[in-house]
Amino acid sequence: PANMKLIFIFSALIGASLCLETFVGHQVLRIKTKNEEEVKQLQLLESLEHLELDFWINPSAPALPVDVRIPAVSVQSVKAFLESQGIEYSILIEDLQDVLDKERQEMAESAQRQRSSSFDFGAYHTLDDINNELDYLASEYSFVEKIQIGESYEKRPLYVLKFSTGGSNRPAIWLDAGIHSREWVTQASALWIANKIASDYGTDDSITSLLDKMDLFLLPVANPDGFVYTHTSNRMWRKTRSKIPGSVCVGVDPNRNWDAGFGGPGASNKPCSDSYHGPSANSEVEVKSVVDFIKNHGNFKAFLTLHSYSQLLMYPYGYKCTRPDDYAELESLGRAAASSIRSLYGTTFQVGTICKTIYQASGGSIDWSYDNGIKYSFAFELRDTGRYGFLLPANQILPAAKETWLGLKKIMEHVRDKSS
Amino acid sequence: SLAMELPPSHFPAGRAAAVALGYLRYLRGGPGRGLQLRELRRARRQDIDDVGHKYYLELELEDVLDKDRSVHCTAEVLYHLGSPSTAPDVQVAVPGELRSTEEADQEFYNQIRSLEKELVAENIPDSHGNVPPELEPIHLLAWAASGYVIWQNSTENTKFHLAQVKHVKQVKRPDEDLQFDYVLLLHEMVSQEVMPWEVTVLWHPRRGARVSRH
Repeated sequence: PANMKLIFIFSALIGASLCLETFVGHQVLRIKTKNEEEVKQLQLLESLEHLELDFWINPSAPALPVDVRIPAVSVQSVKAFLESQGIEYSILIEDLQDVLDKERQEMAESAQRQRSSSFDFGAYHTLDDINNELDYLASEYSFVEKIQIGESYEKRPLYVLKFSTGGSNRPAIWLDAGIHSREWVTQASALWIANKIASDYGTDDSITSLLDKMDLFLLPVANPDGFVYTHTSNRMWRKTRSKIPGSVCVGVDPNRNWDAGFGGPGASNKPCSDSYHGPSANSEVEVKSVVDFIKNHGNFKAFLTLHSYSQLLMYPYGYKCTRPDDYAELESLGRAAASSIRSLYGTTFQVGTICKTIYQASGGSIDWSYDNGIKYSFAFELRDTGRYGFLLPANQILPAAKETWLGLKKIMEHVRDKSS
Repeated sequence: SLAMELPPSHFPAGRAAAVALGYLRYLRGGPGRGLQLRELRRARRQDIDDVGHKYYLELELEDVLDKDRSVHCTAEVLYHLGSPSTAPDVQVAVPGELRSTEEADQEFYNQIRSLEKELVAENIPDSHGNVPPELEPIHLLAWAASGYVIWQNSTENTKFHLAQVKHVKQVKRPDEDLQFDYVLLLHEMVSQEVMPWEVTVLWHPRRGARVSRH
């Protein structure tokens, strides 16, 4: 009888139970029962738990369809059984995993579309939100790629956006923000700038000619551990969050940790200090990751870094108070960039070497990059001049980003012209 | 010796300007007036043997509540040689009148006096730079208080800014003064330290701000 046949066929499958992580090959059948007898057959089927049949509509009355999801391994057997009993069925879903994959992709695309049109560049965001927006930009633009150059002390990924329209290891420009985590306007500006460059490629002559010749690497959150800490614990945190052997204090000033006059004047050897240079040059993984990346790439022409506050546009040196060899060109380019910045809202940036403009400070990033052959090394200090300081109101993010971008663009255009 | 011209855009001059601004905020600032440096026009430094270094400054200031107007003043800041714990001597000349704050001061005074519960607030501005409008007078009074602290604690190698009002608590008094106990976060530019300072400020519309504990 049919029952015996049923039990025989399906008991053979007891040993072949799969771990249902995915639904590859699963089919959903719609079964049309003609009478009570057929309903009872299906209810018997339902009772065989080892088959792991998943009834979306359970067998109850002849007039109602029965929808059932069947694991891949059982599909042929169930169909054979239904056919042998003369029970009509049709295939609702050929392969359930396909449907799920497509659905997930659509949801992700929809979410990304919503995110891009709703990402507020004029507001401060959490690290997660920023990383999501980086994903969006990378997915939306074919010439934008999100790469990971390392991990922070607390194992957060260091994400860099690579803008490249082709070529092979083209001459490149480096731009980073947020190395000092409390300088929130810098991470926020970096995001706006990333979006600006991505969306204006192809329409803006300057950006288009720049990316047609050079690659751009943008690290919007150079100190993610510190950044998270400014959100969760202490808005005024500046340093990394590394544990220092022998001290209760945490963190190293990442802009005193580069191998440029390391340990010299303008950096502290006290772990509790906000300008602590660290136990040794490149001791901070956040710094070492960038150093290694740039050295391995080997073809960077410019190194630009964003800080706040004070409205300054500076070039090397900080660790010594002598002028760099390229003083004349850097001073002239700096002034041109400051002039571009001022053209938008009248914001004045002071131009000069680090040492003369603010103070002697050793172990800084642009001194390292300059001494390693990257001529166009500039450090920006964005708005304001002290009224709000680190707590720059969000309504100044867009003006700050826009004016800063004009300065960066001026420098990048010069680098592009000199690199071709 | 002669006074040496300094680039006003560079920090050595800026440090002295910050001291002058702090002093002026303490003297002339309050809930109705927030003085801000618009531009340091000129700076000179004179090294006086056995005395110290004296800075001559020409500053352009503005009242953040009266931005259309700019205030030109001159200041002298003397850092004493060999005694960094002594506050610099500051002299400021403000020609002309600053915008009157009589009405705003009286309104603030009445408001606070009429509060049933003592005012308490924190994180001004907040992480995103916001200051609720009703707390702006408390914020500006903190500028005046921080001005005193900055003036008293500055050396030639420090540059202080008020980073944030971490906490403020009103303390009701039997006399006519208002009292506010502040915890201020000061950012020192050279060391990059952000440190808390407890400051008690007494304030009265006619007597102005006085720091009684710092």
